[in-house]
Amino acid sequence: MTTVVNKSKTAPSRKKTTRKASADPVTQDSHVHEVLIVGAGFGGLGTALRLQQDGIRDLVILERADEIGGTWRDNTYPGAACDIPSNLYSFSFAPNPDWSRSFSGSGEILQYVHYLADSFNLRRLVRFNQDVTGLEYNEREGVWTASTAAGETFRGRSVVMAQGPLSNPGLPKIEGIDSFKGKTVHSARWDHDYDFTGKRVAVIGTGASAVQIVPELVRQAAKLKVFQRTPGWVLPKPDFATPDWNRVLFRKVPASQAAVRKALYLGHESVALGIVWNSPLTRVVEKVAEAHLNAQVKDPWMRRQLKPDFRIGCKRVLMSSDYYPALQKDNCELITWPIAKISENGIRTAEGIEHQFDCIVFATGFDISNAGTPFPVRGVDGRELGSEWQRGAQAYKSINVSGYPNLHMTFGPNSGPGHNSALVYMESQIEYILKAVRVLRSLEIKALDVKLHVQARHNREIQKRLAKTNWNSGCKSWYLTEEGFNATMYPGFATQYARQMASLNLRDYALIRT
Amino acid sequence: MANIDLDKMLEKIKGSQWALADIDWDAPGADRISAEQWPKLKAFMSDLMWIEHVGARGFAAMAKKAPTDTLREIYTYFHAEEQRHANAEMALMRRWGMLDGDELPEPNINLRLTIEWLDRYSDDMPLEVPGSVIPMLEIALDGALLKFLLEEVDDPLCHEVFEKINADEARHLGVDFHVMEMLGRGRLHQLAVKTIGTVANPKLILGVLAYAPLLNKMRDNIVAMGLKEERLYEAMNKYERIGGRTEEGRRNPWFQIISQHGKMVVNRSHPYHVPVDALVKLTGYIPSRVVGPVPTWVRGLTWRTTA
Repeated sequence: MTTVVNKSKTAPSRKKTTRKASADPVTQDSHVHEVLIVGAGFGGLGTALRLQQDGIRDLVILERADEIGGTWRDNTYPGAACDIPSNLYSFSFAPNPDWSRSFSGSGEILQYVHYLADSFNLRRLVRFNQDVTGLEYNEREGVWTASTAAGETFRGRSVVMAQGPLSNPGLPKIEGIDSFKGKTVHSARWDHDYDFTGKRVAVIGTGASAVQIVPELVRQAAKLKVFQRTPGWVLPKPDFATPDWNRVLFRKVPASQAAVRKALYLGHESVALGIVWNSPLTRVVEKVAEAHLNAQVKDPWMRRQLKPDFRIGCKRVLMSSDYYPALQKDNCELITWPIAKISENGIRTAEGIEHQFDCIVFATGFDISNAGTPFPVRGVDGRELGSEWQRGAQAYKSINVSGYPNLHMTFGPNSGPGHNSALVYMESQIEYILKAVRVLRSLEIKALDVKLHVQARHNREIQKRLAKTNWNSGCKSWYLTEEGFNATMYPGFATQYARQMASLNLRDYALIRT
Repeated sequence: MANIDLDKMLEKIKGSQWALADIDWDAPGADRISAEQWPKLKAFMSDLMWIEHVGARGFAAMAKKAPTDTLREIYTYFHAEEQRHANAEMALMRRWGMLDGDELPEPNINLRLTIEWLDRYSDDMPLEVPGSVIPMLEIALDGALLKFLLEEVDDPLCHEVFEKINADEARHLGVDFHVMEMLGRGRLHQLAVKTIGTVANPKLILGVLAYAPLLNKMRDNIVAMGLKEERLYEAMNKYERIGGRTEEGRRNPWFQIISQHGKMVVNRSHPYHVPVDALVKLTGYIPSRVVGPVPTWVRGLTWRTTA
């Protein structure tokens, strides 16, 4: 799905048309919408956009916050950016010729989301401050009901869970975490009113958020200490400002942007050979990361502290050209001692010292629903998805689950990319949802429910393929459950995933008519 | 030896963490160090603190080689705990007026050479080497020195601190010997071939040239401080006794090498001492600047309870 549409649309402007939650009293929306969507981030809005373009207009999007944007609304910490080039981290059906940088920051990505909502008239579909607390399927009617924390209910023939896999901040299990008397901030809930200038600051975590936060905070804080448990592989990030001629070219010749996107796509696909599987290219990518470390860090002990022990790709590969230099600034210190506890005044590490701080920043990622659901989801016969997924989530083609008819997911089980743009995968999911909704219409049936044996066969195949990937090569990561089950990643190229999602085979589904 | 459940051990380690801030460093008793004791004790504590660091650096290397995540995490804790011991020992020195400002005690040249070797080569050694040598250093040097210290020093705070250190060390030794036995499993000829391959490694030979004079130097220091060298030998024999009490332990070729070496060390009439004592003397002439800059991890050492 690479057709460039909506060429007449202009680039995202800085203007935001915010629609706040309506002040209507609590009402029960008894109307059965054609599609209910949970979440107004990229997944929810993208689905609504494409459904609308396809003539499916009876939609409602339930958003727990008072603004759209999902991940990019929540992750506004200093330095927040995507580590996939912007020309690839955007929808092919809504290109933006005006990206200011090769890797744009969160603010600009959020503007793009606003642009999607405004240009495609999606805001009117969103019900803000509707935090979904449960989804329940009525088998007799073939209708899903979403209950929200506001006490409202919404009904829909189909439902799309697009709440996002990285939407709930996760805190580490550290003794005394609540006893700290200073300020605490999570990277995904940044407090922009807090002034870090001249403060003693700790950053716990050295993952994708931390490598972006640290270079920014080191400029403000009097003292910054970065607490690392496991170092990640860091590749240089070729981030540069887009030259003016480039924007003009993309505007005047949209095919040139499509060509750049295609080249970026293929470039990332080729990296899969090194990142996803263990191949001779894996060693090459490791060598590049090692050369990057050695070029930027001269001290042998620090190099040793920063050099990963696991195969590249096993955990998420980090991208930064300014993280290592930041760690070596005079006011920065890398702490690799295990954290023993958090005390009233700071962090006590196992070498017996209490490191005292004014503020602790948790760059510790998210609670991942790879062994449960973010809210109860009840399907046929009252079955509950969370308990079925206790030992690891499973779905058919990452999007449907047997016993939960007409329930679709964006970024469901085993849909995660390790090497390419999440939005490329998301487009495939959205198109699949479109097909499913169209089938209900065209065949005039009540529901589509994937057959259990088809789902089981699909998962056997996925797990067999996952066993050969770097993610399952022995390191601990958020991709895996505590027991080491990989319910997160898709074991293949984005192209393979797109092929998997390209057709909806009705033989794989039970067609429920009455 | 009963096998240790390493997962339970890791939990125990996590639950037994203590910090310098838990101790009242101004508690009464600091004046119980006699004027006569003071200079000897200062030299003794300096050595002890750096020996902690030989252990620390050894554990850091072992963490890189650990065959399981649990063992890797245990060694990461042990590395930190050895640094904690060094920090606590520096805090005691500070209490006794042996350190000015942020001054660090000076390591003797043999310790310096051993640390230098560990820094350069220990990460390249298979787990068997540090996994068998570190227990010897811990049991012999740490064990003998700590016992002596507690007999000689009256300061109650010193006893309080070393009670904590000893509790940590007991867990270290438990894991050390468990791993030594673990490394003795497998086919004997394979163990032998692997050992021969490592013994022939020039890096290891350099390590032996640092390790052997270190033991003799420490023996000399101990004697100079008034400790009977037999105390050191008793501790070294303990290594053989505990390490060799199971079939697996005895099958570990590195245990055999270290034990045999230990036997030579404790036998003062053994010809081994002629070249090694000469080496001690010779290394005494090496100016410390030749050894190169101190590794940057040394900057992390502190007697301060907070940072």
